[in-house]
Amino acid sequence: MHKRLAEVLVGYSTEVRQGDTVRIESYDTSALPVMRETFGAALRAGGHPTANLVLEETEGILYKEGRDHQLEWISPDQQWNIGHGDVWIIFDAVTNTKRLSNIDPERISRRLTARRPLQSLYLERSARGEFRWLICGSACEASAQDAGMSLRQYEQVLSRAAFLDQDDPVASWKQFGERLERVGDFLDGVRELRIVSEDTDLKLGVEGRTWIRSKGLRNFPDGEVFTGPQETSVEGTIRFSFPAMMRGRQADDVRLRFEGGEVVEATAKRGQDFLREMVGMDDGARRVGEFAFGLNESISEYTGNLLLDEKIGGTVHLALGRSVPGTGGTNQSGLHWDMVCDLRDGGEVYADGELVYRDGAFLNGVN
Amino acid sequence: MRDPRIEKLAELIAGYSLDLQEGQVYRIDGEDVSIPLAVALYAAAIRRGAHPYTKITPSGLEEIALEEASDEQLAYIPEVEQIATEQLDAWTSLWGTVNTRSLTRVDSERRRLQLSTHYRMVNRRWERISSGDLAWCGTLYPTQAHAQDAEMSLSEYEDFVHGACHTREGDDPIAHWRAMSETLGARARELEGVRELRITGPGTDLRVVVEGRRWLPSDGEHNMPDGEVFTSPVENGTSGEIFFAFPSVFQGQEVENVRLRFEDGAVVHAEATLGQEYLRSLLDTDSGAKVLGEVAFGLNYEIDRFTRDILFDEKIGGTMHVALGGGFDEAGTENKSDLHWDLICDLREEGEVYADGELVWKAGSFISEPEPAVERV
Repeated sequence: MHKRLAEVLVGYSTEVRQGDTVRIESYDTSALPVMRETFGAALRAGGHPTANLVLEETEGILYKEGRDHQLEWISPDQQWNIGHGDVWIIFDAVTNTKRLSNIDPERISRRLTARRPLQSLYLERSARGEFRWLICGSACEASAQDAGMSLRQYEQVLSRAAFLDQDDPVASWKQFGERLERVGDFLDGVRELRIVSEDTDLKLGVEGRTWIRSKGLRNFPDGEVFTGPQETSVEGTIRFSFPAMMRGRQADDVRLRFEGGEVVEATAKRGQDFLREMVGMDDGARRVGEFAFGLNESISEYTGNLLLDEKIGGTVHLALGRSVPGTGGTNQSGLHWDMVCDLRDGGEVYADGELVYRDGAFLNGVN
Repeated sequence: MRDPRIEKLAELIAGYSLDLQEGQVYRIDGEDVSIPLAVALYAAAIRRGAHPYTKITPSGLEEIALEEASDEQLAYIPEVEQIATEQLDAWTSLWGTVNTRSLTRVDSERRRLQLSTHYRMVNRRWERISSGDLAWCGTLYPTQAHAQDAEMSLSEYEDFVHGACHTREGDDPIAHWRAMSETLGARARELEGVRELRITGPGTDLRVVVEGRRWLPSDGEHNMPDGEVFTSPVENGTSGEIFFAFPSVFQGQEVENVRLRFEDGAVVHAEATLGQEYLRSLLDTDSGAKVLGEVAFGLNYEIDRFTRDILFDEKIGGTMHVALGGGFDEAGTENKSDLHWDLICDLREEGEVYADGELVWKAGSFISEPEPAVERV
């Protein structure tokens, strides 16, 4: 299975070519077997792979004991990879998803702010096609625990979501990509979206923005269509169905109210202080940098892992903070925090006033 | 469970070996099996105001590369490695591994190609170490694989490692290594006056000219554990025979009962009861591979047994070792080679060493204490 996944990531997602540098990373030793397979697959594709296990524990030490200049420091490895690397494959296996729960949010915000230039650089190089990065789901005990299931069950969820249980995963991804194209083609013609659900009535202007069809090249599994809405257009309220996860911290039952594109009210049942600190990080953190439709019907259950949750067929998500280059979005921020709203039970979406989506699915003519 | 000895070892390396300073850029390299020590070193570096980062490699990648990579891929040096080699202020290599023999059966030609690239970087690293631009220390996180090679249980082996490093509970490692540094320094100064060493023992009667060469103390700066004094002999001044009772492991391959005969500095005859072909292929690495790049006294008496790991074995108190291949610039060597292969000669029972004809070493130790450089108060 690892070998099969590795071949898809190297051959389809990142298309490793002769001479490409390929940096393979993860955070937990559970990913070592798939890292090794990916290393081998990258070699067979003619690349120059390196593999590195990033130690979560060192991140905790840095936040707890590091002084400001240490928090803000960026290693030459990361700097080089983001400035000059060709391919970066990250397996998101972790050791403990709540490891940063007791870290002062101000410290996290300081580090994120210091990394803004690096974030911008990688997104810009990515938009220009110079840097193919990929975050790949990877089964680990910590994520299985968050999802409330065994490791084996979690592996199956991932495998299904990534079409690895199908005869020819690459063919399935290509076919699914065509569906994403149809949704994208429809959204390209829309000026304004209105999202309606329980405690949610939100308008976003998307005219002139580009909808990106996300089909397994930067995330794996994948399946969303996203854009950067007009920065001052967002109006109304939204309530997020799933806890909002960020760097091992979370805020539950987040509700946001927007006026003129800016968050004017932010509440959470739990994690309110963290939410406020993140939203107050910089000016851009109050604006929406991304809006997206989750379209992968092979993901149905909430797992607490954003990589999967934001792709659940029948959800939408928005991100506070930095927009993604290539969408037309211009919002700048150290933050990019995705939050998911489930529309499968009674949710509706109106495009320029017309009902186009109900109960988690586009109506006839779009799909 | 956290082993307090690991934190002690990390403090020793950060505080004594590397003497890490505020703002220094520091990389910790190792395989995944060494993670606990990598984390402890990271924490020690943060406390000193340095900028640490880790490069933790999944075990087994070298084998995959040897199987899958083209020659060009095998010889490739990532640019980040070049940058690290040129720019780091401090560096630690953690040598712990999960299987010390995982490369035993690989194609030796391919392995040589892989290593020649690696050596280019190591040579450049040593240039920066020698000029004082880079602080570097190599050490070992005790693992099952190394315990197995040493024929011990893991907990016995951990005791052995921390004994050798003086990082046991209750030890004051920094005080120990400072005192050791003084003793080794005094011994090195004493040896500087010697023109020729004659080493005798079972199967061994070897003359090594060291005149004009600098003797250096290995006092925990570049290796932990440490404890030797060494120099690079005069290139054409080695003659006679030497027998190595301990097996010699080089890059995962073992050679047993090596006997070497030298004439005018170079090996003219080499035999081994096991690994004879491998021995010959190593001697054929290049022209410098037949010449000694190092002669040294092992003086760490906490290391009292052979463990199949050169980090420890070359420091066994009461042994001497020589290395075939490249020597040390700071010792005054002129011998260049891609090889540097340490071979250990056990002198603990019958060995004698003469310095310009005078007996200075018998049965595993120097006959007299070195003269202290300064009167101790």
